[in-house]
Amino acid sequence: MPATNEPAVEISGLTKRYGPHVAVDGVDLTIRRGEVFGLLGANGAGKTTTVECAQGLRRPDGGAVRVLGHDPVRQRARLGSRVGSQLQHAELPDRMRVGEALRLFADGPPLDAAVEEWGLGELWGTPFGALSGGQRQRLFIGLALLNDPEVVFLDELTQGLDPVARRSVWSLIAAIRARSTTVVLVTHFADEAELLCDRLAVMRSGRIVAEGTPDELVDRHGPGISLSFTLPDPDVAGLRAVPGVEAVVVSGTRVEVHGRRSMVAPVGAHLVARSTGDRPVPDDIRVTEPTLESALIELLDCDDTPNLVPEEVPAS
Amino acid sequence: MSFARKLIRAEWRLFLREPLAMTFVVAFPVITVLVLGGVFDKDDPAFGGATPSDYYVAAYLGVVIAAVGLVMIPVHVATYRERGVLRRFDAAGVPRWAFPFSQFVTGLVFVLIGAAAVWVTGLVSYGVPALHDPARVLAGALSGALAFISIGVLLGVMLPNARAAQGVGMLLFFPMFLLAGGGPPPGAMSSTMADISSWLPLTHVIRAIQEPWLDLGTNTDHIAVNLAVFAVATAWWMARAGVLAAPEAAVA
Repeated sequence: MPATNEPAVEISGLTKRYGPHVAVDGVDLTIRRGEVFGLLGANGAGKTTTVECAQGLRRPDGGAVRVLGHDPVRQRARLGSRVGSQLQHAELPDRMRVGEALRLFADGPPLDAAVEEWGLGELWGTPFGALSGGQRQRLFIGLALLNDPEVVFLDELTQGLDPVARRSVWSLIAAIRARSTTVVLVTHFADEAELLCDRLAVMRSGRIVAEGTPDELVDRHGPGISLSFTLPDPDVAGLRAVPGVEAVVVSGTRVEVHGRRSMVAPVGAHLVARSTGDRPVPDDIRVTEPTLESALIELLDCDDTPNLVPEEVPAS
Repeated sequence: MSFARKLIRAEWRLFLREPLAMTFVVAFPVITVLVLGGVFDKDDPAFGGATPSDYYVAAYLGVVIAAVGLVMIPVHVATYRERGVLRRFDAAGVPRWAFPFSQFVTGLVFVLIGAAAVWVTGLVSYGVPALHDPARVLAGALSGALAFISIGVLLGVMLPNARAAQGVGMLLFFPMFLLAGGGPPPGAMSSTMADISSWLPLTHVIRAIQEPWLDLGTNTDHIAVNLAVFAVATAWWMARAGVLAAPEAAVA
């Protein structure tokens, strides 16, 4: 189901402190029903604390949180199985079998659909302690979605998994997208967020520093796009005059043009316009697009230590 | 089926697969009562008028209760906290009373199993004495079990991890077991050790079972002490119920 404008999670002015450390500092977020929303940031940015407040697992020090219209701490009984969770640090007893865990957390029958959908049938009698990392995550996703929740929180879903297991888990998230479930995905992997999320918020030092679709974030905060090609007689001045071009670097006959995404078509037009029979359009044009990861590095690569350290109170 | 009922079933299965629990709750009391029941002379005056085997069969019901409360439950509760299982329950919207309730139910069931094992062992070896006052025996056993299960939950809540819970549990279990009636009889103890013994919670559990069973006295103070221990321990862990249910202080 496509995302609607109806909010599933509304967070306004959320603040959470651990002693003198401000973990979440005035976060405002609206997550719409049906969307896969990513909360991205470095370790310790406040992502997990934010979603734990949204799950009612932590009591905020300030601000308001509403999930499906309810306060997740005071009205948790009303939310019940409408919310599913995959927690970052929460396991199961080693000797508990997969089937027992599913039966324990299921609100009622039928279990068959969930077991089939998440491929848990083959693991039914396997103890939790004998599962691989990927199998555990598959079980956790199955448990989070077992009761067909309207909102599901998935925290650091693929941390510690090998690349094959990560991709296997990604395919499960893609399957959730096809349902009406709102997904809140907490991750510090940019590739994961770029692939899976409709919208993202980037957190740094307990604050939201950027929000938008992956493409919007890349456009706004990425290092820009670059085109490289071979020209026997580079026309540097002409290329620099093309709208959107920020820099032209020439190394012999090799030309690199750096700029915003919007420059691609005008640069192409420029190359076509100046071509002649003995000066054809270059046939080795390479486009290097910025990724969300490069945008994230731009966003997060700054020293913000003063935000985390409480100010010293001078002795009176 | 309610979550609490499903949790009790799941916990029951998990405890059955737990070698530490089965060893201390079933195997240890059975083996020790077999050995100690045959060590002393039948007429040894140190047992206050009871035969040694009768004394130990009755006493080891208390040892079973101590094993459940000091060895089995603290490790289980601390493991759940350490591994975030309680956070998972909380995130799933499980009522916060459900887990401690499941510990009381499964703890009582394991007390029954351990007691049955000791009873059968006594039956096929030295014989089981007749219950002089069955109602008081039951009250003594039940009050003692409630007290020690509550101590077990408290230890699991207070101690930082499963290894600490196991270490502290063992450290409490063995001296208490030896001094409270599972080891040498009261008449064989020095006055200092007898004084220490009188302050131990397990002493009151064992005497609350032994005295009405073997007609050694009509004192009901032991049951009152058991209930007081139960009330204090329960109030203590309930005051820290945030540790049981909410994650804020559960796992660093």
